[in-house]
Amino acid sequence: MRRALIAIVAGAGLALTACGGGTATATPSPGTPITIGVSVSLTGDFSSDGPALVKGYDLWAEDVNKKGGLLGHPVTMKYVDDLSSTTQVVTNYQNLISSNHVALVFGPYSSLLTKPAATVVDRLGYAFPEPAGGAPSVFALNLHSLFFVQPAAIEDNLVSYTNWLLALPADQRPKTAAYATEDDPFTQPQIDKARKLLEAGGIQTVSYKVYPAETTDFTPLALKVASSNADAVILGTQVPDAIAFVKTFIAQHYNPKTLIETAGPDQGAQYSDKLGANTEGIMVPAGWTSGSQAFNNPTFVAEYIAKYGGTAADISADSAEGYSVGQVVEQAATKAGSIDNQKLIDTLHTGTYQTVQGPMGFDSVGRPQGGVGVFVEQWQNGNAVFVYPAAVAAAQPEYPKHDWQ
Amino acid sequence: MYDRRVLMLLGLVAVLAVALLLPAIAPDSATTNIAVFTVMYVGLATAWNIMGGYTGYISLGHAGFFGFGSYALGLLLAKLGVAGGYEPFLFVPVAGVLTAVLAAVVGWFALRTRAATFVIVTIAFMFMLQLLAENLTSLTGGGAGLAFPNPPWRGGFFNIPFYYAMLALALVGLAASWWIRRSKFGLGLLAIRDDEDKALAVGVPAGAFKLTAFVISAALVGMIGGVYGYYVTFIYPQFVVDPLIGISMVLMVFLGGLGTLWGPVLGALILEPAQLWLAYNYGVSRLYLVLYSAVFLLVILFMPRGIIPSASELIARRRARAPATRAGATP
Amino acid sequence: MILVLEAAVLGVLTGGVYALMASGLTLIFGVMRIINVGHGALVVLGAYLSFVLWRNLNIDPFVSLVVTMPVMFVLGVILQVVFIRPLKADREALSVLVTYALALGIEGLLGFFFTSNYVQITAWYDTASFPIGNFRITYVYIYGFLLCLAILGAIFLMLYRTTFGGAIRATMLNRTAAQLVGIDVDRVSAVAFGIGMATAAAGGVVFGITNTFNPGSHYDLISRLLTIIVLGGLGSLRGAIIAALIMLVIEDITAVLISPVWADFVFFVVLVVVLLVRPQGLFGLRVRERL
Repeated sequence: MRRALIAIVAGAGLALTACGGGTATATPSPGTPITIGVSVSLTGDFSSDGPALVKGYDLWAEDVNKKGGLLGHPVTMKYVDDLSSTTQVVTNYQNLISSNHVALVFGPYSSLLTKPAATVVDRLGYAFPEPAGGAPSVFALNLHSLFFVQPAAIEDNLVSYTNWLLALPADQRPKTAAYATEDDPFTQPQIDKARKLLEAGGIQTVSYKVYPAETTDFTPLALKVASSNADAVILGTQVPDAIAFVKTFIAQHYNPKTLIETAGPDQGAQYSDKLGANTEGIMVPAGWTSGSQAFNNPTFVAEYIAKYGGTAADISADSAEGYSVGQVVEQAATKAGSIDNQKLIDTLHTGTYQTVQGPMGFDSVGRPQGGVGVFVEQWQNGNAVFVYPAAVAAAQPEYPKHDWQ
Repeated sequence: MYDRRVLMLLGLVAVLAVALLLPAIAPDSATTNIAVFTVMYVGLATAWNIMGGYTGYISLGHAGFFGFGSYALGLLLAKLGVAGGYEPFLFVPVAGVLTAVLAAVVGWFALRTRAATFVIVTIAFMFMLQLLAENLTSLTGGGAGLAFPNPPWRGGFFNIPFYYAMLALALVGLAASWWIRRSKFGLGLLAIRDDEDKALAVGVPAGAFKLTAFVISAALVGMIGGVYGYYVTFIYPQFVVDPLIGISMVLMVFLGGLGTLWGPVLGALILEPAQLWLAYNYGVSRLYLVLYSAVFLLVILFMPRGIIPSASELIARRRARAPATRAGATP
Repeated sequence: MILVLEAAVLGVLTGGVYALMASGLTLIFGVMRIINVGHGALVVLGAYLSFVLWRNLNIDPFVSLVVTMPVMFVLGVILQVVFIRPLKADREALSVLVTYALALGIEGLLGFFFTSNYVQITAWYDTASFPIGNFRITYVYIYGFLLCLAILGAIFLMLYRTTFGGAIRATMLNRTAAQLVGIDVDRVSAVAFGIGMATAAAGGVVFGITNTFNPGSHYDLISRLLTIIVLGGLGSLRGAIIAALIMLVIEDITAVLISPVWADFVFFVVLVVVLLVRPQGLFGLRVRERL
């Protein structure tokens, strides 16, 4: 009995040393088909954004296969559902890499899930280009293998907007501002930075509220904002709250001079079909708009409509972000002459890459560099268009915002 | 009689050997990852069974203790500046003690109620803990989550220390469960399950016994939560204080056999890999939940007492019949 | 101060909707002694049924209740007969698992048919409002509140003015005794489950107009509903209604006075405090409960 125990322990010890080697990623031989693995949220909290991301990835895969594949490798996308949960996202990336032996992996939706996923992918030696995890805490992970494919770290998303507000003539500029934000790594850093900048510019804060991401009844919050009667309303929202706030404002006949929401208005039809004509004048920070002339964007928009139907206004920014991830990887692979993950990681840290969201490069922890930044987009006559800065604007900003209809 | 016992002991040793050697048999990280979560649920279900199975008090809020243990360990490591590696595992028992203290307070209150009210009170406590984790942002980081130190292990090796940590906790849980079943304390708990008022009448200190079982059960769950947090490296209020974790352990116990020693183990070994596999393969088609729920319903409707009691009843009936027919006797 | 008053009014109006949803849940508990953890999913199912009728056939969501309430009633009777009735031993615990499994199944099917995108039912009255002083009340809250009053009134009439209602009340009081005096307890249970689902359909309509929802919305709903019925006293219809109003008013006032992040927390604190004083809830009878 005793001897058996010793044997077991020794065996386990041996096993441990045998496993210490780590996973070597084999590079597939030229011309063979490859699979790219992605864990996306199709059920659970983030399930409204997951499908839009998938559309972007699929469209890119189709495009790259038309050109003969990624460095000659025909690409298949493999999606698995992470149920918007950390347990599953950790499981999924390990399965994709060690069990399905995918050649590359792309990122999931949201900063929340990107963080645990990124540590798993990093330790398995894969590159992790990701479209949706840009919170300061993502870069604080200090991972060399992560690349955030958006024009700027999300903290700075509202900077264009605050610049525009503060550049308005003094007599028109809002005097007071009300803020409300979800307690989420994506939204709150944006609101806090905007508040700091506007207060420094002399705009008084009359209300500031943080609410849990789990909130479902937003009416009391919206009433609080409405009762502050602020000139400017700046909201850190995702889709459901973005709609709920506006509905309560309409019901309360509360017409701020300007209203911006961090996410929601950039989601195309998912947003506009619930508010109809009342989207008019609502703003959103956006690195991408369907009308942009950035690299390949007109083609992307045309192909999107051909494949999924609808109009340019229906396209969610998530789809463009997913498509950009593919573009970045494609250019890096060409530049490196390889789809080996280590080579891709090294290559992605140098140079500039062209995407439908404009050009961008990456610093040592994957923060986007040299991008054109995030602009201000505004709903005008049923379309979301860039209105600031002037260099990219397709229309004049509408200010003050029209009253609700 | 003697050789059956030897057989059982041998079987036990074999299972233990496989469990200990698993990382050598299947070292790829996809398998060891599933093993980590499966053994985690073996521990959770066993711990839950000490309260729910033995006393009959159904707690649906054990995910609160899971999350609390997770946050307790994460905060300890952060405040003390412990670096990633083996050292954080030494703090897991501390997280267990903290969870035990919380459980004593919660239990003192919740155990004033019985049956359905108790079920709902435990749910309410779970949500209170979740809201605290969300709202005390300066302490817990709120919705932005709490980071654990990142261990320096690379590649497939990473999962292995966690696997053994989870396995150790599961074994502790099993040992506790086994000891309780054979002790006078355990008899008292079973008496409470059968009829609490009668148990009180014959002198079982029901209040103290229930609270003790509750605290042991919660402390184990809290320690497992701590290891879980360290494993996934990032925890969020809604993912560690997750009602689904709480209900999963209950389901596993019911599937395997409520109040039995091995039922929770069997339930976890079947359900957790199945759940991860179904989600991985059918999640995208969105039918995963439907499949899971169908399995769930079939089990409860056709095996309401769980696999182990149903199976042993079947075996006992066969045995009872076999000699009877041989002897040609009529009942 | 004005803000507090506004919050209180809003709390009462939304509380009415929660009262309706909770009354179905507490009725089911009272008659069958089971906790229907799937009640939230049934509300969401009701919301989706009305959503489909509204989106595809352009039927006003309140009018669609004429269809959805009977449909949900029949479905409830079927669910009770197929899934709840066979449970014999360990009913309370097993029923939690069964109804939870039903909730998951409903969530999965809704996800399959509707994807998990957020949807909302819209109608002219969801943003149209009328003023009371400085404050404006949206019509949908008034309509929702009136609907709840009407349905709750109908339930009370049925319970206290009909023979069948008497059978239900007798079953709630003592299941075994009711059986002894010749009441068909199984039939009463099935009908009670059906009524519970019909109220879920009605609650679902108002929920679907005032909230954006997706198949996963039921988790949040059920935790609130369970808290409400325990606070009111399990099985007490009056208790559920009053508890719903108290909870929502307190929650909304906390949201404006202190902070919205603590609103939900206060919800649970109220429950704990009340149970410390009265473990049986506000209107619960001190019965000897057994598992």
